[in-house]
Amino acid sequence: MKKNILRMSLVLVTATLLLNACKKDKPGEGNDEEVITTMNLRFTPVGGGTVSNYTFDDPDGPGGATPTKSVITLNASLTYDVQLTLLNKTVTPVKDVTTEIIAEANAHRFYYQPSATSAINVSNLNNDGNGIALGTTSRWTTGTTGLGTIRITLRHYASTPPNKAGADPVDSPKSSTDIEVVFDTAIL
Amino acid sequence: MANGQQCSLDLKGHIEDADSKEKLSGATVFIDSLGLVLTTDERGDFIFKGLCPGTYRLRVSHVGCETIEEEVALNKNRHVDINLPHLKNTLSEVTINSLSGIQNTGTKNELSGRALEATKGESLAEALSRINGVSMLQTGSTISKPVIHGLHSNRILTINNGVRQEGQQWGNEHAPEIDPYIAGKLTVIKGVDELKYGSDAIGGVILVEPKPLLGLPGYNAELNAGYFTNNQLYVVSGLFEQQLKALPAFTYRLQGTFRKAANVTTPNYRLNNTGLEEQNFSVTAGWKKHQLNSELFYSFFNTQLGIFKGAHIGNLSDLREAIDGGQPDAAFTGQNTYHIERPRQEVRHQILKSKTILQKGKHKYSLLLSAQINDRKEFDIVRNSNNKSPQMDISLVTFSEELTREWITGKNFTHTAGINSVQQENQYAGRYFIPYYKSLNLGAFYIVKWNKEKWDIQSGVRFDQKNINTNRLLADSVVFDQYTFNFSTLGASLNAGYAFTKQLKVNGTITLATRAPYVNELLSNGIHHGTATYEIGNINLKEEQSINTSLNMSWRNSSETFSIQGTVYRNQINNFIYQQPKPNEPVLTIAGAFPKWVYQQNNAVLSGTDITTRLQPVKSLTWTIKYAMLRATNRDLHDWLIRMPADRIQNELSWDFKDGKRWSKTFVSAEMVYIAEQTRVPDEKNGEQDYKAAPEAYTLVNATLGTTVELFKLPITVSITARNMFNVVYRDYLNSMRYFTDEMGTNIQLRLKIPFKHLH
Repeated sequence: MKKNILRMSLVLVTATLLLNACKKDKPGEGNDEEVITTMNLRFTPVGGGTVSNYTFDDPDGPGGATPTKSVITLNASLTYDVQLTLLNKTVTPVKDVTTEIIAEANAHRFYYQPSATSAINVSNLNNDGNGIALGTTSRWTTGTTGLGTIRITLRHYASTPPNKAGADPVDSPKSSTDIEVVFDTAIL
Repeated sequence: MANGQQCSLDLKGHIEDADSKEKLSGATVFIDSLGLVLTTDERGDFIFKGLCPGTYRLRVSHVGCETIEEEVALNKNRHVDINLPHLKNTLSEVTINSLSGIQNTGTKNELSGRALEATKGESLAEALSRINGVSMLQTGSTISKPVIHGLHSNRILTINNGVRQEGQQWGNEHAPEIDPYIAGKLTVIKGVDELKYGSDAIGGVILVEPKPLLGLPGYNAELNAGYFTNNQLYVVSGLFEQQLKALPAFTYRLQGTFRKAANVTTPNYRLNNTGLEEQNFSVTAGWKKHQLNSELFYSFFNTQLGIFKGAHIGNLSDLREAIDGGQPDAAFTGQNTYHIERPRQEVRHQILKSKTILQKGKHKYSLLLSAQINDRKEFDIVRNSNNKSPQMDISLVTFSEELTREWITGKNFTHTAGINSVQQENQYAGRYFIPYYKSLNLGAFYIVKWNKEKWDIQSGVRFDQKNINTNRLLADSVVFDQYTFNFSTLGASLNAGYAFTKQLKVNGTITLATRAPYVNELLSNGIHHGTATYEIGNINLKEEQSINTSLNMSWRNSSETFSIQGTVYRNQINNFIYQQPKPNEPVLTIAGAFPKWVYQQNNAVLSGTDITTRLQPVKSLTWTIKYAMLRATNRDLHDWLIRMPADRIQNELSWDFKDGKRWSKTFVSAEMVYIAEQTRVPDEKNGEQDYKAAPEAYTLVNATLGTTVELFKLPITVSITARNMFNVVYRDYLNSMRYFTDEMGTNIQLRLKIPFKHLH
């Protein structure tokens, strides 16, 4: 009897050791390829002038410390070329996520929605390969004076094929939100 | 044997449980000298035809009863009544010493035979939901988990062939990793017997038990196949078992299942990416000699599940958009394919178990050793379509050792005592949701059962000590958030049954169960994409404690044409752990603001009743009515608890046809299921508690036609079932997809079973 129990335990121990041997230790956390911590907007006045940067920054990712956000302050009656950059600061070196968005341009789209009082007009969004707006670059034109907000949304088309169309509104059920940041704006 | 006489005598018989006087269906009757074997029908009857006059030795066996032999002299047609005594010393594989004669009471409800066959091809939770008082928590049509009296996940223990299943049960979208084809019987137990498996079974215990291994030399094989029209699901499951004549101590069984389904169709649209694919197999080897009985079991479960894409939510405004849409966008519907894309789950579960039982006189010792590996990979929608890796990858390894002793004292006392130890290690990669942890659980229990004449009294106690060490680990081996938790949990139960008459039985139970908080409740921290919420654990949670009182009553008339069985229960849970929305504290992220949900504790009471009545106005016609009702309240907030099953009434009419020459067990049945609207939901005056009001009440009609036909000398069972026969458009409160989509439309299910049996 004892021998039998011993034998059974031995079989089990051997088997579990085998199972354990096949199993690899998991490396731990890191879903970095999906994290976006930072949105930077780089403003270059058309025809020359000082370049300025405005940022939404959440360096530790969702949760944890509260993100910081700058107020976009622009000069009156000017036209700016705006370059949008997305970063993941949770990894070293910091990763530029914008290139990935551009690589899958036909499944992504930025929307710029200035509020009525902001006196900002956004146009000339760059296109994806199919000639539909992508929006990593844009042209902003300011009025004489204004205080308001601008909502910048990145939408992701998850279905295959993406079926992205020019007429899709920002809340199109075909796409879902990757980024939604509302900046306060001031035209001085 | 007397020659010259005609061999045309019939030996009829009827078999009953000696103690409870229940008719024993499925008992095996052998006439060894002639190599004849039969099983009793549902009425406990058997008949051997065409016997020659003479004296025969009958050998009769039934699970849970002693095998007895009886000499029968046969010189004319004869009827014998045989009473099988309960197994006193040798207890079967998973022991539930049911209260004598009280079947399907509040402490034990089982699904077997025809009722279980009717669920083949469906998930484990779908099968269990046929039991009154059990419902389902769903994520779409393919992911479902059982809910017993309003409780689920870590509040329920699932015992898979004797082993306490250890997976990632905490997740609402984590279904049990079990092949339902393994089961010969599904049982839900409450009360004293829970203590064998843990002190934390606040909601109850589910037993998934295979049929016993072959007891005779020969082989047995069974082929099951099914096809469901709605999602073009097909399933093939096979079983082969053998006991060699040359080595009768050794028995083995091989079993395997393949199941695959395409996208699910609702009455108005087909839902993209809702397919599934499952491959499972198991191997069992048994050795039985003298007083020693050993069993080695290995099972492999592997599933891939697609999750409806239209429910992939980027942030709160998306969620509201999708909910307000009423029906999913055309971009997420209409594809008829088996192909599964992101978001999807890949889950694998392996069990290795050895059980050795030694019988010595009135003592029985058993040693159970087991190892389990649970791997869960969740693939989210990702930005880069070349990304092939999972976003959440968790693997849990569990070892357990258990030593149990059962013994009998005096005439009426059965004792069971046991000690066990469980070691676990949880690892993860990718997205954080639960931490790395190592845990050790040590437990001990003692149960005593006493029965005499009309009384049946059982009681038991169990203590567990659990130690958990957790930490978070970054891919660059930085370790942080290290915590140590120690929990002591106590379980106890007292059960008293009394049989006033053969027809009227009453049974009362009071059970104390204590559950240690699980790591997700303590330490989760992150966005839950399915619900667009930011979930935060609470390291200060205490043990959850429940005191469950229930009273069960069963009565049947003497002609057995009417029976009623009812349970009333009240489960008071102190420090009930739940998620409380904090509407005024949103978490701001780059994807917008997410509502914050935190784990907290309050006192709760869940009380309700389950009633089943059965009427048989004529022999062929059975009318079954089941009613289940639950009221669940948060006592501190004076409010209802969220996500609790609504009241339900099921009516089933079934007509059994007389057996013909080639056709037998022919029946037709129709069932009407009414699920009320859940009107008892948390009050919104404390801020938003739910995104959408509970769906309206609905009524479904299901029907089945089944028969067994003798073809090529094989009794082949076929059946056709129509579920949601009238293609009703409905949504269910307990399905998280109710925010986005309707439930499955009509589903025609075809089933086939071919048994091959050859016993020496």
